[in-house]
Amino acid sequence: MIGNFEDPRKTFGEEVCRIALENRKIVLLSADSGRSSGFGSFMDKCPERYFEFGIMEQTMTGAASGLASTGKIPVICAIASFITARNYEMFRNDIGYMRQNVKIVGRNGGITYSDLGTTHHSLDDFGLIGMIPGVVVLAPQDPNEIREAVRAMLKYEGPVYMRIGNEKQENLFESGFEIGKARHICHGEDVTLISAGSMTANAVKACRKLNERDISVEHLGISTLIPLDCDAILESAARTGFVVTVEEHYTEGGLGNKVGELLATEGCPAELIKLAIPHDYCISGPYSEVLAYYELDADSIAARIEQDFKGVYF
Amino acid sequence: MDIVTVLYFKEMKCDSGAPHKKERDRFLLSAGHKCLAQYAVLAEKGYFPKPYLDTYGSLGTILPGHPDMNKLPGIEANTGALGHGLAIAVGMAMGIRLDEGDSRVYVIMGDGELAEGSNWEAIAAAAHYKLSNLCVFVDFNGLQISGRVQDIMNFTPFKERFEAFGWNVITIDGHDMKQIVEALEMARVAVDRPTVIVAHTIKGKGIPFLEGKAASHFWSPNEGELDEAVKSIKIKAGLQEGKGYDW
Repeated sequence: MIGNFEDPRKTFGEEVCRIALENRKIVLLSADSGRSSGFGSFMDKCPERYFEFGIMEQTMTGAASGLASTGKIPVICAIASFITARNYEMFRNDIGYMRQNVKIVGRNGGITYSDLGTTHHSLDDFGLIGMIPGVVVLAPQDPNEIREAVRAMLKYEGPVYMRIGNEKQENLFESGFEIGKARHICHGEDVTLISAGSMTANAVKACRKLNERDISVEHLGISTLIPLDCDAILESAARTGFVVTVEEHYTEGGLGNKVGELLATEGCPAELIKLAIPHDYCISGPYSEVLAYYELDADSIAARIEQDFKGVYF
Repeated sequence: MDIVTVLYFKEMKCDSGAPHKKERDRFLLSAGHKCLAQYAVLAEKGYFPKPYLDTYGSLGTILPGHPDMNKLPGIEANTGALGHGLAIAVGMAMGIRLDEGDSRVYVIMGDGELAEGSNWEAIAAAAHYKLSNLCVFVDFNGLQISGRVQDIMNFTPFKERFEAFGWNVITIDGHDMKQIVEALEMARVAVDRPTVIVAHTIKGKGIPFLEGKAASHFWSPNEGELDEAVKSIKIKAGLQEGKGYDW
C-alpha cells in the first residue's frame, strides 16, 4: 500500500522465496547471508535447493555459473560491496562473459551500512557492474518495485544485478515497473530531475518542495541503470534544458555519468548537476545523518536544485 | 594432451552431434591456456571441422588463445583467468546431482594455478558438498611461466593438502595412458568425496628440445622447429598414420 514502510531485504526475500517454492529451477545461494537476505523460509522448506557457501563470494559466484549451465536459475544475495567488488572477475568472466542466467542481488547497498565504514559501502557498484557487457543493472525505488523487479528478473533470461538497501522504505508506487523503462513520476517544464533506486523517495519530497517554490520539476525515476531509458531522458532534457541526477553512488561511474555521456554524445544542450557522494572514502554515522552530510536528504536536494537553477536562469 | 585424449576417447559420455545434451559429462580446462590440446581433440571428435584448426590466432577465429563456449561447441566454460574453472565445475556437479543425473564433471588444473586462493575456496566447497561426481586433474609439471613452481610459490605437497581438505587423492604418471584410465576408474567409485588425480607430467613431453623447460609455456616455433617437433612426437608415441592408442 502507498505510504507503508517495509524492510527491503524482507520484501525481497519473501518474493524470491514465494516464487522459488513454485519454480524448481530456482536455487538460492548464500555467503553466510541467507537469513539476513530474507531466504529463511526457503532454507527451512526447501533445503535441497539452498546452497550455503560460507564467506566465499568468489566460489559462490563461479558455482552459480556452473549451476546455471545445468539449467538452474541461481539467485545470490549478499552484502552489495562483497558481491560486486570481491568477486568482480568471477562476475565478469563466469557470469557476464559466459552469459549465464544468474541473478546477483546486492543488499545493504549504497551507504545503508552507514555506520560500518567504507569497507561496507557500495558506492561503485553501478559503475563496476555496468562495465560488464550484457548485465542488466536494477535499482528498484520502493518495496513494490522490489517485488516487481524480482518477478521481472526471474523471468528475464540472462545475468542481472540488482541493488537493494536495508533501511525501511516507503511504498511510493502501486505498480508499473518494467526493465529498461524510466518512470514518469511527475511532469514539469523547468527542471528534469532524474533519481535512481532508494534516492527516489527523497527526490519525490524535494520535487514537491520545488513545485511549491514555483520551479516546475519533471521527475523521472530510474530503476534500471542498464539499459538506461535514453529516449525518456533525452526527450525531457531537450524540453527543460536543466538536468539534475540524484543517486546513492559516487559522482563517478553511476547515473550522473551515464546521463552526462548521453547528453554529450547526443548533442543535447542541457545543464547537468550531479547530486551524489563525492569520489572519496565516505564518513560513517547514522544513515539519515550521513545522507544529510552529503546533501542527499530531501531539503538539501531541493535547496541545491533551487540554488543552481536560479543561478543559471536568474 | 594425454589426459585430454583419454577423457574424450575413453572416459567421457560426449557426443559431438549433441554437444549440449543434458546427459553429457562435462570437461573444463581451468588452465585455459592449455586449450590447444582440447581444440585438437575436439576437432578429432568432430565438434568442428579440422581445417578450422588453421584459423588459430587469426582475426575472428573461433579458436581464441583461451576457450570461448559461445564460439566453439564442446567448450563448457570461458576459462583463461586462472582460479575459475573449479568453482564453475562445483556448481555443475551440484546442478547435476540436484537433477539426480549420473553425469560427471572433469577439470584439468595447472600446478602453478593452485596459487590462486579462489581454488582453495572451491576445494573446500567440493568436499563440503561431497561432490563425488567431480574429478580434477592437477597437471603437475612443476613449471609455470616464469620458472619452477616450488620456487615461485610452493603449494606442494599436493597430496597431503588435498587429503586434509577431504578429497580422494590418486597420484599417477600423467603420461601413462593405463595409469590415467585406472585412476579414472578409481575416481568413479569414490564415495561422498571428490577426487583429485595428481598427474606427474613433463612440460613439452615428446619434444626433446622443449622437455622440462619453462620457456615451452609460450613457445612459437619456426618452420624447422615445427617439423622437428612433429617428427619427435610421432616417433615417441610410436604412432603411424591411422593407428590409434593402445590402451
